Amino acid sequence: MKSYAALVWAVARKDLLIEFRTHERLTSMGAFVVLIGVLFNFAIDTAVVRPQVLAAALIWMTIIFGGILGMGRTFRLEEQDGALTGILQSPIPLDALYLGKVLGNFVLLSVMVLLVFVVFTMFFNLRFSGNPATLFSVVALGVFGFVSLTTLFSAMATRSSMGESLLPVLVFPLLVPVVVFGTTATDRLFSGRPVAEVSGNLRMLGAFAILFTIAGAWLFRFVIEE
Amino acid sequence: MSFGLEAVELVRTFGGLRAVDGVSFRLQPGELLTVFGPNGAGKSTLLRMLGGVIRPTSGQVRVAGESADVAAREWRHRVGVVSHQSLLYGELSIVENLRFYGRLFGLTDLDARIMERLASMDLSDRARTPVRDLSRGLKQRVALARALLHDPEVVLLDEPYTGLDPHASAVLREQLAALKDGRRTVVLVTHNLIQGLELADWVAIQVRGRFTSVTDAANLDPAGFEAVYHATVENPA
Repeated sequence: MKSYAALVWAVARKDLLIEFRTHERLTSMGAFVVLIGVLFNFAIDTAVVRPQVLAAALIWMTIIFGGILGMGRTFRLEEQDGALTGILQSPIPLDALYLGKVLGNFVLLSVMVLLVFVVFTMFFNLRFSGNPATLFSVVALGVFGFVSLTTLFSAMATRSSMGESLLPVLVFPLLVPVVVFGTTATDRLFSGRPVAEVSGNLRMLGAFAILFTIAGAWLFRFVIEE
Repeated sequence: MSFGLEAVELVRTFGGLRAVDGVSFRLQPGELLTVFGPNGAGKSTLLRMLGGVIRPTSGQVRVAGESADVAAREWRHRVGVVSHQSLLYGELSIVENLRFYGRLFGLTDLDARIMERLASMDLSDRARTPVRDLSRGLKQRVALARALLHDPEVVLLDEPYTGLDPHASAVLREQLAALKDGRRTVVLVTHNLIQGLELADWVAIQVRGRFTSVTDAANLDPAGFEAVYHATVENPA
């Protein structure tokens, strides 16, 4: 078990090391988030619409679209100089490779999500008086489900002739539950509703995160092996 | 009698295409087989099968007389692969690349192994250099260090000389010659007749997936081999 976890961490660590050195994906995701914040700031008349009402939907849409930008490049590193072949020639189980990629992506997307909250708080003067631990759980479970799904489909898209452009077409229909339960729960928490009102959404987000991760770990071999 | 590496009627099909078609050979430990063949002959597919990246459709691989499941994870511990691509990450330094691959192989005493391997490849003073800053020749030496890090008994070389200048080729040749230490079995795939013959103990010509001949290099006339090769490729039996 310890050695399996070490393999997962080795993959995630390598991805993060390269990303924090190149900033390739973080830069594009971060620029997208800031740009969306600026555009929404001009597009929404806060005298007519209370930002609090729209906040949850805007936050989740930004996470989904911004996240797709970064997740689509998950296997770009492995395309360089045959690195994926190098990994496939090693004894790492393919589910450990997948989970390592998911872990690395989760850390990267968490950095982006942090930026989303900073940007939206800044532009829309959002106030959150609810339970921060619950909000954290909602976002973490939603993001984990999103990452589990997009990592699998990113491998598929990378190996297709359409490349990254295929990714949104493949994943958006499957992301509907994450968007619905994530937005509903976030909206209720921003509205100051009790935690009990989001427990059902939390369970659903958790169930989807587990389902996507297990399915992804199992299906990954069929995507990546020749 | 058991052999270091033995392939028995290996076949790999892609749809209706038999990319590798009934390939058999036997090598003793310390021997090097060079496989020549034109583009699309199935040489790289054969190596990818022996390396465990793709599964054989049928046939068997044996090591030291025992059947080896090349699709199994355990097989990867016994094989090292060098390709015309470096299989390395340009943004990572030499030592970071080796450390990453060493972790994937679950190697203990990793740092000591890396330092030993770098010293043997004369790369110790460049250990912290990002791979993207290396010349093609140095990258290929790092690729060889990576392939040997887990001390495999079978080494597969897929066009390792591609893109190297004459000096880098000569340096790599020396490193490859050191592989014939009596313990390892080596399969080299190349287009280049001169480089391929230099180290070979056995020479095979592969055309349309099949080995048309497997010849003891000691019985081969290097001067006449080119004519034999062209005749075989143009009119395979």
